[in-house]
Amino acid sequence: MIVKQSKSAEKDPVLEMRNIRKTFPGVVALDDVNFTLLSGEVHILLGENGAGKSTLVKILSGAYQKSGGNIVLFGKDVEIKNPRQAQQLGISIIYQEFNLISQLSAAENIFLGREFLLSPTIIDQKRILDSAQSLLNDLGVNIDARQLVGELGVAQQQMVEVAKALSLNAKILIMDEPTSALTKNEIIELFAIIRKLKNRGVSVIYISHRLEELSEIGDRITVLRDGKYIGTHQISEMTQHDLIRMMVNRELKEQFPKQKQQIGDEILRIERLNRQGSLNNINFTLYRGEILGVAGLLGSGRTELARAIFGADKIDSGMIYVDGKLQIINKPRNAINLDIGYLSEDRKAEGLVLDLSVQSNICLASLGRFSKFGVVSNKQEKDAASEYVKDLRIKTPGLNQKVLFLSGGNQQKVVVSKWLCSNAKVLIFDEPTRGIDVGSKVEIYQLMNRLTAEGAAIMMISSELPEILGMSNRVMIMREGSIAGIYDTDNVTQEKILQNALGAA
Amino acid sequence: MKSKEFLLHNARQFGTLFGLFVLVILLWILTPHFLTISNLLNVAQQTSINAIIAVGMTFVIITAGIDLSVGSIMAFSGVVLASALDAGLPLPLALLIGLAIGMACGLFNGLLITYGHLPPFISTLGMMSVARGAALLYTRGRPISGFGENFRSLATGEIIGLPAPVIIMIFIYIIAHFVLTRTKLGRYTYAIGGNEEAAVLSGINVKFFKTMVYGLCGMLSGLAAIILTARLNSAQPIAGIMYELDAIAATVIGGTSLMGGEGRIVGTLIGALIMGVLRNGLNLLGISSFIQQIVIGSVIIIAVLIDMVLKRHKK
Amino acid sequence: MNNFRYLFTAVLLILSVFLLLSGCQRGEKKDAEGPLIALVMKTLNNPFFIDMQRGAEDAAKKLGVTLLVQAAEREVDVEKQMQIIENLIQRGVDVLCITPSGSKEIIPAIVKANKADIPVLIVDTRVDSISLIEAGGKITTFIGSDNFDGGRIAGEYIVNSLDGKGEVAILEGIPGHETGDARMSGFHKALEGKKSIKIVTSQTANWERDQGFNVFQNIMQSYPSVQALFSCNDMMALGAVEAIAAAGKTGQIIVVGFDAIKDGRDAIKKGTMTGSVAQHPYEMGKIAVEEAVKVINGEKLPGYIPVKIELIIRENLN
Repeated sequence: MIVKQSKSAEKDPVLEMRNIRKTFPGVVALDDVNFTLLSGEVHILLGENGAGKSTLVKILSGAYQKSGGNIVLFGKDVEIKNPRQAQQLGISIIYQEFNLISQLSAAENIFLGREFLLSPTIIDQKRILDSAQSLLNDLGVNIDARQLVGELGVAQQQMVEVAKALSLNAKILIMDEPTSALTKNEIIELFAIIRKLKNRGVSVIYISHRLEELSEIGDRITVLRDGKYIGTHQISEMTQHDLIRMMVNRELKEQFPKQKQQIGDEILRIERLNRQGSLNNINFTLYRGEILGVAGLLGSGRTELARAIFGADKIDSGMIYVDGKLQIINKPRNAINLDIGYLSEDRKAEGLVLDLSVQSNICLASLGRFSKFGVVSNKQEKDAASEYVKDLRIKTPGLNQKVLFLSGGNQQKVVVSKWLCSNAKVLIFDEPTRGIDVGSKVEIYQLMNRLTAEGAAIMMISSELPEILGMSNRVMIMREGSIAGIYDTDNVTQEKILQNALGAA
Repeated sequence: MKSKEFLLHNARQFGTLFGLFVLVILLWILTPHFLTISNLLNVAQQTSINAIIAVGMTFVIITAGIDLSVGSIMAFSGVVLASALDAGLPLPLALLIGLAIGMACGLFNGLLITYGHLPPFISTLGMMSVARGAALLYTRGRPISGFGENFRSLATGEIIGLPAPVIIMIFIYIIAHFVLTRTKLGRYTYAIGGNEEAAVLSGINVKFFKTMVYGLCGMLSGLAAIILTARLNSAQPIAGIMYELDAIAATVIGGTSLMGGEGRIVGTLIGALIMGVLRNGLNLLGISSFIQQIVIGSVIIIAVLIDMVLKRHKK
Repeated sequence: MNNFRYLFTAVLLILSVFLLLSGCQRGEKKDAEGPLIALVMKTLNNPFFIDMQRGAEDAAKKLGVTLLVQAAEREVDVEKQMQIIENLIQRGVDVLCITPSGSKEIIPAIVKANKADIPVLIVDTRVDSISLIEAGGKITTFIGSDNFDGGRIAGEYIVNSLDGKGEVAILEGIPGHETGDARMSGFHKALEGKKSIKIVTSQTANWERDQGFNVFQNIMQSYPSVQALFSCNDMMALGAVEAIAAAGKTGQIIVVGFDAIKDGRDAIKKGTMTGSVAQHPYEMGKIAVEEAVKVINGEKLPGYIPVKIELIIRENLN
């Protein structure tokens, strides 16, 4: 078969993914994506949160099944049905969260599930140890194969993963954010090893957000955006600015019904807030009537900040002022009493009790108001709940319907109602429109407008930059647990936000 | 519309009730001794102890917990109550002591689970042994017997033809139903079992309410101890071995999910009655106790199987 | 609607299991016209009671009466035994034979039977007579052997075998059981005044074989020079015998059990166990049914019908 050679392909392609499509119920995660990997190259996969990078590599590693398109591996059409088959085809993946068992030794981890045997039941411990040690020595890393993985550092654990991939004869190695937990020196070592792998003809698919390191290690780069293929380029031909433009350049196709409100007095002020390992010297102020958009990559500390303000996680130091008064918030109850509400990122896991009724969920955070001596007044509760159901147009056959059976949008409205019912004036919305249909999204936006018009303040965490730009008065960008910048929405672009979030120059 | 909704919401309970109903009809056909007033009262009385413990168990299981210590707590509060009566303490005070001992053991369970972060299975397994040992130590292994007529009337007395334990049981079920459906404690019990994280984030003091639920379960074990002691006119330190399993069975047959968040107090009553009717019926039919165990075990398994099938169907 | 169909199927399933099981039991009780005698035992998972059941069944067959045998799942569960008695009263049996799980706790059930005019024959374990009188209950007779006597016989045997001096250990039953208590006090009585015989320890193994093993293993650790063991039943004694074998001391320690169950007799034959006080449960069951028939025929019974008790050792085995 003759493959039409592009200018970059002096080497042979080992893998071609053509017109890959992946849909989840209600969502198109990948739409007609093409990806070509050459022998011995380091190929960067770049894109925002939710752009489809993880979905693409999960299809390759057998964790997901593609909905359409085909995969050609070493010139042959293949169907990758499960992770085990992917390994047999020579594809290995190292996730951000390592797949290691900390109570077992490095050697035992490397050969887990593929132990050498002396007899059908007895493991050849010595051979496992020797092979593992020689794999590690080959990599040039100083790890004793007998050591328990739990006793190794992060960088060493990563090397164990690499050794494991090599023991599987991996021809294609996928690394997901491999440098996110490493120090500078460890990164240098890692890159040396990646180059060693390249020389052996291993192809690497490398996912990272750290623009500054990409040109150092990558050969080519493919950018995805909103599940679509944007383009593939030689990395040497691209500037950081080019890359950012490729990542964000999308039109504001959704309509945001933003109404500018009169910004009022300060309602919440955070000073020097710290939490070990996740938040670092946070300072900002929130005003009545405003929506403060909070942008940042996954793991940048957005959700951690929300939970810390709400008292769901303990803070190490810092001050929280509500209405100008210093307050101590140790647990959610304190925050709720100060009229703060938190609509969490994962409404099913943290926001709702799915087996309880609409009415019970709406009143859950303010049941004290409806009860005397611990006895709940059914009538008061019902009146309050039905008011919100009517007001927010929650579609439910009745107040006694379990929220389990409502649609995503209506479930979200129930959570919002819960905080309205508790009289929250500071609302922290974490990804308020995730997994919600377009119609409900607009309703949630309108609701946010109404709340701010009534004098509430909203802190809206979102991964959707258009949503942030369309709805917020100001944008706060977080990076690695710190605030990377706060801008008026009028003076900021998607590029600028992403630059801040990525820490690009 | 309203009644249809009611039916749908309680489908699981109606199913159990239907099962009980069919069981009754069947026994009525098989033996003339079953469907007589005196035998039915007899069944109700025999069910009462398990049914009362099962109320506490229902609360605990709705929070997605389990309490293995109820049988032992019952024995311990029983012997302490008996010794209080033996020492000539006034009846109301002695009863209060019995309930308090049960409640204290339960609260201790709750504290171990909430503040000690122990899994309920482990902490109540420990309490099962500790309370049993305490009961044996307290009595040096000997039962305490022989009480006044006033105390004994808690088991032997009758009001308008109903035996006292049955009246106590009905009373407890009415209160428990009210607590579970109409009070904060009840609502939070469901919320904690359904989604503990969401409950915490809704500002519910989860540790407090969880501890209370275990305390309640312990107290009801204390109440069961009162009835048992009055019934046997003796408090044995070895009483109530494996009663926890009967209570769990009644709860589960009644449709409470071991995963937490779901369950009805009425279901538990029906579950306890099904077990009582089965035992009674099998006795009346003269069926060997070995087969009785097989039958009761099968009923538990089938009840839970139905639950699983129903759930899978809904989703 | 689908839900209901599932429920319905499931309920049908329960019923068919139930019917099947009750069906296989129905055959033997067709002739319910004759007198109906119930024997309520402590449990059915102990060979002693199984022997008793056999004796009762053989007698019932010979005399042409219908016999119902019921027992609680656990030997110590008096409440369940009481429930069974209540249910049998409802069933309307003619005579109740009971081996009480608790000598005081069973009295309320006896009183209930009295009220229903059903004669009660107590077998094997005595009820507490003072409590019975206080409660206003009455029993027709007690059929059984004197546990006190049995304990005394065992004690005398051990005293003789040790030539009047040595260290002795006791395995008790569950504390508070009339049976075990009587055996113990009989044993103590035999040792009274024998100054050179020392009871080094007396511990419970809750009537059970596995606990007998553990407890006696511990005793041998603490008192390595123990020379004889009296165990209040054979199950515990057999456990101890295993412990002795495990310690390689078979034949060096005198072990006297109680009940002379089949396993016990086998051990005596093999020489791993020294002796056992025989209670003849088969006789008890047989006599219970025979006496019950006499009651139905209106005969008066004496208040105590003794069943012979003797010490079985290798020499007099069969």
